This record gives sequence, C-alpha cells and structure tokens, in this order.
Amino acid sequence: MTALALPAVLRRGLPRVRHVTLAFRLAAAAAIAIYALTTPGFLSPLSINALLTAISFVGCVAVGMTFITLTGNIMSLALGATVSASALMFLACLSFGVLPAVLATLVFGIAITGAQGFLVGYFRANPILVSVAALSLLLGAAAFATGGHRIYPGGAGLEIFKGRFAGIPIDAWCFFATVATGQFILSWTRIGRTMTMVGSNMRAAAAAGIATTSAVTIAYVIAGACAAISGVLLAARYGSGDMEVGAGYDYTAIAAVLVGGTGIAGGSGSTVRTLAGIVVIGVIQVVLLLRGFSEQLQYLITGLLVLCVVMLHTLGERR
Amino acid sequence: MIARNVAQRVFAPSVRPFTIMVGTIVVLGLLDRGTGYFFSVGTIFSVMQLFATLGLVALGLGLSMLIREFDLSVSGMVGLAGCIAVMTGGTHPWLGALLGVGAGLFGGLLQGLIMTRLSLSSVGVTLGGLLTLQGLTYVLTDNQTISYPNMAVALGLNAPLAGLFSARSAAALAVFAVAALAMHYTRLGRDVIATGSDRRASRIAGLNTDRVVIGVFAASGASSALAGVLLSYSLGAASPVALSDVLGPAAAAAIVGGVSVVGGRGSPMGIAAGVLTLCILSSGLSAIGVAPYVHDLVTGAILLVIAVLDAPDLARRITTWRLDRAERRQRNALAGTSS
Repeated sequence: MTALALPAVLRRGLPRVRHVTLAFRLAAAAAIAIYALTTPGFLSPLSINALLTAISFVGCVAVGMTFITLTGNIMSLALGATVSASALMFLACLSFGVLPAVLATLVFGIAITGAQGFLVGYFRANPILVSVAALSLLLGAAAFATGGHRIYPGGAGLEIFKGRFAGIPIDAWCFFATVATGQFILSWTRIGRTMTMVGSNMRAAAAAGIATTSAVTIAYVIAGACAAISGVLLAARYGSGDMEVGAGYDYTAIAAVLVGGTGIAGGSGSTVRTLAGIVVIGVIQVVLLLRGFSEQLQYLITGLLVLCVVMLHTLGERR
Repeated sequence: MIARNVAQRVFAPSVRPFTIMVGTIVVLGLLDRGTGYFFSVGTIFSVMQLFATLGLVALGLGLSMLIREFDLSVSGMVGLAGCIAVMTGGTHPWLGALLGVGAGLFGGLLQGLIMTRLSLSSVGVTLGGLLTLQGLTYVLTDNQTISYPNMAVALGLNAPLAGLFSARSAAALAVFAVAALAMHYTRLGRDVIATGSDRRASRIAGLNTDRVVIGVFAASGASSALAGVLLSYSLGAASPVALSDVLGPAAAAAIVGGVSVVGGRGSPMGIAAGVLTLCILSSGLSAIGVAPYVHDLVTGAILLVIAVLDAPDLARRITTWRLDRAERRQRNALAGTSS
C-alpha cells in the first residue's frame, strides 16, 4: 500500500515545489513591476529610452553568453574584450562604408570566438582557460594595433544607428532581433536542439552520434556574432572606442543569463529568459537611479538581488 | 624510448606545473642572452611581489576548483578586505588585517552555507556574492579611493628580506606552506581530494562533504582576503574599482598549476608553480625589455597551448589522426599492388 502510495505522493509533491517557485517568481516580478511603476518618472519616454539602450548593449552579449552556458561551457571571460575589439574593428573599417564595416566586424567576432569554440568542442579544452587565453591575446593584439590610443571613426554613417524606428531606438531593435533570432535557432532548428542536447550530456550526445564539435563551435560562433553586434552598437553610440568600452560585460551578461533562469550546468535555457533577466537588472538599476539611491547603493542592491534571484531559481530544480 | 619515458614522467599531471615553470625560466634565460637582466635579484624580488597577490587568490580559487566548484567571488573578497583593512587598521594594523581576513572568512562561510543548505551551484551563488561584495565595497568606501595613513606598515611590508622576499611575499609563502602541509599530511587534505573526486561516493563512505565544501569556501575567502589586505597595506591605498580583473589570471594560474576542473586533482605546490610561471613571465619579459603587449600575447599563447595540451580529448584526437593516416597509407599501398 505504502509502496504504491509513495510515487503518487512524489508525483503530486514535485509539481507543488514547482508551483511554489513559480508563485515566488511571479510575486518577485510583480513586486519589481509595482516598485518600478510607482517610481515617478519611470514611464517617461526619456527613462524608457535610456533603459532600452542601456540593456541593448550588454543584452546582446548576454544572448551570446546564453549559448555558451547552454552548451555546458559555463561562461566566457573574453566576451567583454571581444565587444571592445569589435568596436575598434568597426570604427577602423568605417572608411569602407557602413555595411562592409558591419560585415567585417561580424566576421572578426565570429572568427575570434568561433576559434575558441573549436578548441573547446574538438579537444574539449577547458572553456574558462581558453577564454582567459583569448582575453590575453585580444588585449595584446589591440594594444599592438592601436598603440594604446582611442580609435575614432574612419568614415561617416554612424547616424543610422542613432535613429529611431516606431519610437524605439535602433539599438533596441537590433537587440530584440538578436533575441528573436537566438530563440528561433534554439527552438526551431536542428542545431539548436543539438546544442541543448550537447549541453545536457556531452558524452551521451557523442554516443548518440551527434557532431558535438560543430554544435559547440556554432554556439561560440553565435556568441561571437552577438558580441560583434554589441561592439558595433557601442561604437556607433559613443563615436569612439578603446578596449575599455566592453569591460565588465562578461559579468553583467552571465548575471543576466542566471537571473533569467538558464541553468549554469547547461542543457536548458533560452534567449527570451535572458531578455527577462537583463530587463530585470536594467529596470532595477533605472528605478534605483530615479529614486535617488547613490551609485554605491545601486551596486550593492543589484548584487544582492542577483544573489536572491539565483537562489530562488535553483531552489525548484536542485543540482 | 628513453625520451618517451622521460617525457611521460616530466609531463605527468603532478610534475607538469614544475616542468612548465622550469621551461619558462630556461626560455626566458635564453632570450635574455646573457645580459643578466633576467637572472637578477631584482627580478626574483618582483616575481615574489606579484606572487604575493596573485598566489593567494589562485590558492583560494584553486581549492574551490579542487572540490569541483568555482569561486567567482575571489576578486570581490580582495577588494572588500583591502578596503576594510585600510579603513580600520590606521592605528592598529593587526586589527585591520584581522577584520579584513575575518570578512573574507565570513563571506566564504556564508556562501558555502547557502550552497550546501540549498544545494545550489557555486557559480551562481558566487557570482551573486561577487556583485554583492563589490557593491558593499562601493558603499563602504563611498566610491572613493581611501588612502592608508600608516606608511610605516606599507614600507615594512615591502622592505626586502634577504634581498629576495618582502614580508608580504613571505606571508604568502607561509600560507602556501601551511596549505601544502595540510593537504598532504592531514585527513583534511584527503577529505578535500575525496570530495572533489567523487562527492557522492565520499558522502556514502561517511564523509560530511557539506562541511568540506563550507570549509573550502571559507578558506578561499580568507586567502583572497589576505591577498587584498596585504596589497592595500603595501600600496597605502584601497579603491573599490581596482583589481576587478584578478580572477582571470588566478584561474589561469590554478589551471597551469595542474588543478583540473573535473575536480580532485591538484595541489597547493602545483598552484604555487602555476602562479610562479605567470609571475616569471610577467616580470621576466619586462626585465628583458619587451613591449607590454608582447607580454599579453605571449601569456595568451602559452595559456592556449596549455589549454589544448590539458584537454581530455587531445589523446583521442591524436590517436584518430594516426589511425586515419595509417589506414590511408594501407589503402594506397593496396591500390598500388592491384594496379
């Protein structure tokens, strides 16, 4: 009797845990939303636009990071430097026209990050060590190429990126397009499914005859393309660049991925979740700014919130 | 055959960090071409100064990697402990140091407790911890650089002892010695290795793995905090923005030092060798007089090579290449005889 009853209890018990976490999440989201909406000036076009542009830059990187985390490679410490280097590349190539410059930057980001992905996928090299190596190489190469100077645009045409479409900044459109493309790849393409599978169990995937090398490499290629997009947007927004523009983006990006609820162990996650994560972080920062908290307190509260959200998320799923 | 045996022994996981270190010294010595800038007391001293900061952080991070976790919060600990020490240790440096290291210990303990009680992964918790610690540092310092009034301490910490060490690097070496002895000769060390090798098996065998995890994170916090305290004292200042990029080099040093992310492999002496390799590269290259960017490029290239050499699938890939080539040759030979 008890032997039969136990699974039933378990079956009923499990969804309950999930319901509780879901309720927690909804309550947290509602609390943040109410706090934001009752903040004077939050809904003004100015602050909404500031929020959208701010999350767009780092959001693109976070979408790329989602793919790296998803395929079981934890995080890359080189994406921030890739963003900076892409910004430099874009500005330097701008003399050939905007479109060639964007293409060159994309190729650059894809090549740099895709090469790391190949090493990780083909040899199963340690992703963190590979990214630290790439970070060092990027910093060295950039210092050699620029001589440590700021880079200014080599041509005109940056105005395209500063415009608006339907009242929303172009940067935000680019970011939303990146999220949508990423989600499309993950949910509706074969390679997306493959990446999820490789992330959840690399050995099982290899045993099932899946080309794990190409799956990991493509995940990194996507991450590189995302970093390049972020670099282009940043370069266009600020009109000049150095290796500092993307510094620290790696940490904000992985924070957004985790706040969104993508598991650090790999095998699950989506770019829409990452979008939610970066929106939560961005909204909190804007609200704290509008409510007149000092910059120091903003850092502290953001940190504590990330910690709480991460704890909340993983409560339901357990390691 | 003998060469292969020697190579196997020299590149065995437990010896390899030292081989890499010696190799680095030899190559830099050759590049120096007898000018003597590299093989000088000054270089050794500056290597040890770099070692004092990077070493303690890498030791903390390496210990967490030994048990198959990853402590991202180390750089936050460095910053916070440095600021606490500088703010409280004006008249009583020991008190400041104690408070700084205590904060690191407490932070690590808290993170370990959160991880084990809620069974969470370390990357998420310590990422939150890192951001929180950085925020705390910003709040404590009011987003400003705090200068340390007690210059006697700063000078004393950096004054050369026997030409090679300063009090600061000697302290770091002492911590490494204690860690190495504890890991090799006590049950604690074996418990850590067991937890890292197979946590479930260790738990079934009766080991309280949760306690090991909490202890390792506390040790990691304290070690990084000590690095921060020593650094801030000897710089005579602490700032919330400095040193946010110590994590990458520390991770690199630990992995060069033979700590495997799969867990259960690595030792404090290996980590020390890994840290020394990076420090020797850094001060050696500047002693020889190459441009700073070359230093970044060389470090990056070496890390990349180690990443590939260390990769679990390298041997399998090489075997596949060999078999493919042999098969092709055979097929060609067959085609040659039949035609």
